[in-house]
Amino acid sequence: MAVARDGNRGLELVEEFEPDLVFVDLKMPGISGFEVLEKIEEIDRTIVTIVITGYATVSSAVDAMKSGAYDFLPKPFTPDEFRLVTRRGLEKRALVLETMALRREKEMLRENFAAIVSHEMKSPLNAVQQNLFVVAHELADSASAEQRERLERMQARIRDLLQVVDTWLRCVSVDVDAIKERFVPVAVDAPIARAVESVETHATRKSIELHTLIGEPAAVVMGDEGTLAEALTNVLGNAVKYSYEGSKVTVTAERRDGLVDIAVTDTGIGISEEDRAHILDDFYRAGGTGEGGVGIGLAICRRIVEAHDGSMSVESAIGQGSTITVTLPTIQFDDPHGPGPKEDPAKKGPQ
Amino acid sequence: MSDKKRLLIVDDDPDFAGAIRSILETAGYETEVMHNPKDGWQALKKNTYDLLLLDIMMGRGAEGVMMARKIRKDRVLREMPVLIITGIREQIAFLFPGQAIHPGFVPVDELVEKPVEPELLLERVAALIAAAEERKAEA
Repeated sequence: MAVARDGNRGLELVEEFEPDLVFVDLKMPGISGFEVLEKIEEIDRTIVTIVITGYATVSSAVDAMKSGAYDFLPKPFTPDEFRLVTRRGLEKRALVLETMALRREKEMLRENFAAIVSHEMKSPLNAVQQNLFVVAHELADSASAEQRERLERMQARIRDLLQVVDTWLRCVSVDVDAIKERFVPVAVDAPIARAVESVETHATRKSIELHTLIGEPAAVVMGDEGTLAEALTNVLGNAVKYSYEGSKVTVTAERRDGLVDIAVTDTGIGISEEDRAHILDDFYRAGGTGEGGVGIGLAICRRIVEAHDGSMSVESAIGQGSTITVTLPTIQFDDPHGPGPKEDPAKKGPQ
Repeated sequence: MSDKKRLLIVDDDPDFAGAIRSILETAGYETEVMHNPKDGWQALKKNTYDLLLLDIMMGRGAEGVMMARKIRKDRVLREMPVLIITGIREQIAFLFPGQAIHPGFVPVDELVEKPVEPELLLERVAALIAAAEERKAEA
């Protein structure tokens, strides 16, 4: 405990002594108690201040609170009152410090986790993959067809694993809301084309036909083409993954009332009613599918779509296939009074 | 003195660096490998290389980026082409939002992602060296 006879000395002590709690008399020689409260707030916001004064009016109490005081103790007071206020103040200080520490820890975890996963998991995988590349390259002429196939399988498995790590990393480290800052008008056919392109190889390997039907002219949304393409790639990738060989996956984009429905339909294994309720949640994987994956693809999609003020829905029947629909608000150039999204007119479309 | 091109690889992962080295030596390049930015920098100061292959995520954080910045400030070394090899596309996109994945750490650079297909690696290395020689001939 330290005691100062005026405001200036008090502030010096606050810096030297680093107290948890400061009692401030409003009426002192030198600088006023209000000024002391404000200065303490500047020095360290977590220090709890309690005002003691004989001028116990409601308005001076309110003023003191405004200047950052936590509590108010009118003179004269009993030792019990004093102890109570002190205890409450110290509890408050402990809570504030704990909250700050927890928040810092959470931030550190989020940032460092991404870095740790990136380096500790990706580095060895990259090294293995790079060496597989070398072996495949150097043995291209001498390896048997069977050996070459084994090498290719190994590369494919490592590639999938690297992709899982990337998706996972993205889930923990990327602030989806931040993409809102770079929204521009995007015609939906562009991200759809990019998504189709990304899954084409996988589809061809399973002899799955990809059909795209986009209503002309393509609807325009406010968004980020890259992340929209990522979301649609995930949906489309899932459709291909859970479809039977030789079947068909269709992507349609249709406008309705200031919205566009981008629907991906497959004739695959379907999703049970129980799974349908959770399929858009983090890390949820439908049971008994036998397909690999970490179950975050659709959850990331949902976040991207929600950042675009859109929604996702799932329709499915077991054994008959599923339709996953991404619905986004469109912007309309021709009819500004039409039932469009509630967009700020200044942000509507290119200038 | 042979007319083999001389390349320096700076990467803290010996297995990865070894694989890169094997691809380049098979293709007829002379290579040296350093496993940390400090040794890499000393080698750059002592010898002359036609190209540097640099990993930017070394040690704690992006020590390779620091090395690239030092190269950028060096009158002589800044003329040397640098191929940045990295496994951190996401982070790069995060550091340089909205930009093409080509951060321009040094005046003459290209970026390839880990792991890199041998054909792509050889193509980039050859193109960077050819471009550097063209510039030298013009000067």
